[in-house]
Amino acid sequence: MHNAIGILFGNNSSDILQGLAFQRSIAAVPFGGRYRLLDFALSSMVNSGIRTIGLVTPRHYRSLLDHLGAGKEWFLDRKSGGLFILPGAIQGLSGQSGKFRLKDLQLNIEYLQKEFCENIIISGCNHVFNINYQAALEIHESKRADITLIYKESTDSVAMAGKEHLIIGDNQEVLDILGNDTAETSGQTQAYFVDMLIIRRKLLLELIEGYRSIETVNLMDAIYENIRSLKLFGVPFKGYFGTVNSVKDYFDRSMELLNPEIRKEVLTGQDQIHTKIVDNPPTKHGAQAKVSNSLISSGCTIEGEVHNSILARGVIVESGAVIRNCIIMQKCKIEAEASLNYVILDKFVKVHAGNVLKGNKNTPLVVLKGSLV
Amino acid sequence: MQKQECIAMLLAGGQGSRLGGLTHNIAKPAVSFCGKYRIIDFSLSNCANSNINTVGVLTQYKPYLLNSYIGLGSAWNLDNPFGGVHILPPYVGDNEGSWYQGTANAIYQNLDFINFYDPKYVLIISGDHIYKMNYLSMLKDHKENGSDITVSTIEVPWEEVSRFGIVTIDQEGKVIKFMEKLPDPESNLASMGIYIFNWSILRQALIDDALDPLSENDFGKNIIPKQIELGKKVFAYNFQGYWRDVGTIESYYNANMESLDGEDSIDLFDPGQRVFSNEDILPPQYIGPTAKIQNSLISNGCVVLGQVSHSILAPGTYVGEGSIVEDSILLPHAKVHRETTINKTIIGEGAKIMSHCSLGREPGPIPQQSGITVLEDHYVLEKGSVIQAGSNLNAC
Repeated sequence: MHNAIGILFGNNSSDILQGLAFQRSIAAVPFGGRYRLLDFALSSMVNSGIRTIGLVTPRHYRSLLDHLGAGKEWFLDRKSGGLFILPGAIQGLSGQSGKFRLKDLQLNIEYLQKEFCENIIISGCNHVFNINYQAALEIHESKRADITLIYKESTDSVAMAGKEHLIIGDNQEVLDILGNDTAETSGQTQAYFVDMLIIRRKLLLELIEGYRSIETVNLMDAIYENIRSLKLFGVPFKGYFGTVNSVKDYFDRSMELLNPEIRKEVLTGQDQIHTKIVDNPPTKHGAQAKVSNSLISSGCTIEGEVHNSILARGVIVESGAVIRNCIIMQKCKIEAEASLNYVILDKFVKVHAGNVLKGNKNTPLVVLKGSLV
Repeated sequence: MQKQECIAMLLAGGQGSRLGGLTHNIAKPAVSFCGKYRIIDFSLSNCANSNINTVGVLTQYKPYLLNSYIGLGSAWNLDNPFGGVHILPPYVGDNEGSWYQGTANAIYQNLDFINFYDPKYVLIISGDHIYKMNYLSMLKDHKENGSDITVSTIEVPWEEVSRFGIVTIDQEGKVIKFMEKLPDPESNLASMGIYIFNWSILRQALIDDALDPLSENDFGKNIIPKQIELGKKVFAYNFQGYWRDVGTIESYYNANMESLDGEDSIDLFDPGQRVFSNEDILPPQYIGPTAKIQNSLISNGCVVLGQVSHSILAPGTYVGEGSIVEDSILLPHAKVHRETTINKTIIGEGAKIMSHCSLGREPGPIPQQSGITVLEDHYVLEKGSVIQAGSNLNAC
């Protein structure tokens, strides 16, 4: 299948994740032990057979590029096609949540011009999902659509905050796109647009050219303005879709991976999520270790207790330390007799012996990268 | 093409018949070791860590998994435009070519390959040992001694000497005698099957050996003793460190368990000399609410719902609720369903054990292979089976 190429917008930066997204875009936030959020969007494209993917980079792109390298783990180090880095436009206001900015694409117009494929799949990188675009592409082709928007039916207007919702006709055509602030009708099932769409390449080029003179217009604004002249269809996504709008969301989405059904759907199904390989040894559970209901990555050494938690690679838990309901990122060290409950430790945090850190279910405590506590 | 100073020839064609069910379908170097590794990872990682980036891998016995596992060698950083990993299976030409008849014959049949790189030195290693070694320091000794051949040696316990090729040296470290597997040797210095040859010496030795109808075409039995006899400068390089030959079920089992017990073992966690492997991308391991794990190595993609103690679980394995796994090794993607008890057992790749089984708990009639039970890869054990300790379960 080579009738589509991909564009990932990895430049959605924001302060909703507090310290976790301080020096990295949301796309680069570590998730689920050995992944970063970006892996879900990227692997979905790769698993759908797409081998030409452009990534619009954020302002702080070091961590993102460190993770991706040449794209080898996603089979994107290729002679034809592969991974393309598309430097995003740096706007004055980094907090602006402009998604799919046309300006970013206009700066990288060569990427779109030199390919000859018919369609482009565009997706954000801030969500947890595992989708195969094949079915949507087939519908897009058979309906001869200009644009196909992927939506998720949900009653949870809080989780879907900030997402446009779609009015879908009997024939799956999109009748209207409503802005996020009009969706005050909580409890009703709405078709929320989940930041994934398929668009004809020629049309995208026309839109970029048409809006050239306006600095901050988004692709969705442009589509909305031309809704009467475009053939717009919607395709529902039935699978798990995890939104991350706050630290609590981040915590909850992470913990949902402890649920076998969600884990099966997202991580261990037919299409696997690919990520950077570090080649660690297996994890060592020591003689005193007590681990229950937890996801543990490779290269850890566990001598203490770990319950209902997610440990990233290379974490050291000394004897007598107790970890409950925590997310511990790469290479943290929790010394003897320390106690952690509802805590998110960013990378390289060291918790000294005997210290007690406690957050709660609704506001987990976040400890910044490299801290000594 | 860049001329190489030293290239490695890795002997990976052995069947490893003494590993029984573990090598019925795959070559010994491809057997899983210590969770996520395969035995050949150690030799290939040593090459990578020693900056030897041209490696010829001689394969013959059931090479499919081995070949696909090695691929281009990129997992070991050996995919290099000036060299890289080359898989060398037996081939036929106009008048020559046949199955490899022995270790020396395998290299002899690939003289063209070595000629192509025309190195100064050739390192001969095998793909079935567990150790970390910097070959460059052996090469340095080789150059300083002005040797023709250097044999890497290690001291082994006297009670085990009869298993090895034994080297006798003089005060300067020069080898004066090299004898294979004698019942009563005069030294406990064992050859590790690692040799550095000056290329010109090796080429001549192999050509002469091929013409000798009485030769078994083996480095240990023929080439090295012959070269000593001819008065060539053969030196020993005494290796200090952990080295294990995992040729038998017992030694394979023990080497695995040593990595668990610490002290004298291969240090997998040492960031200085890493062991690389070609791993699948699997999710992190999931440890269930009722699981209990003690003193074990658990890999990616494992799901543990039962009890595991003093065991090694390779990637993608599953231990069901109420099951107890003790002193055992589960190879990749092995599945143990619920309420099953397993003791001192090696479970082959992709094997399935249904619920309510008992393995290795009842003593067998004759104590064989130290009571270690072995299930061949992809074996399916019916529900409720009871298997005596020391049994070998093979699919055919």
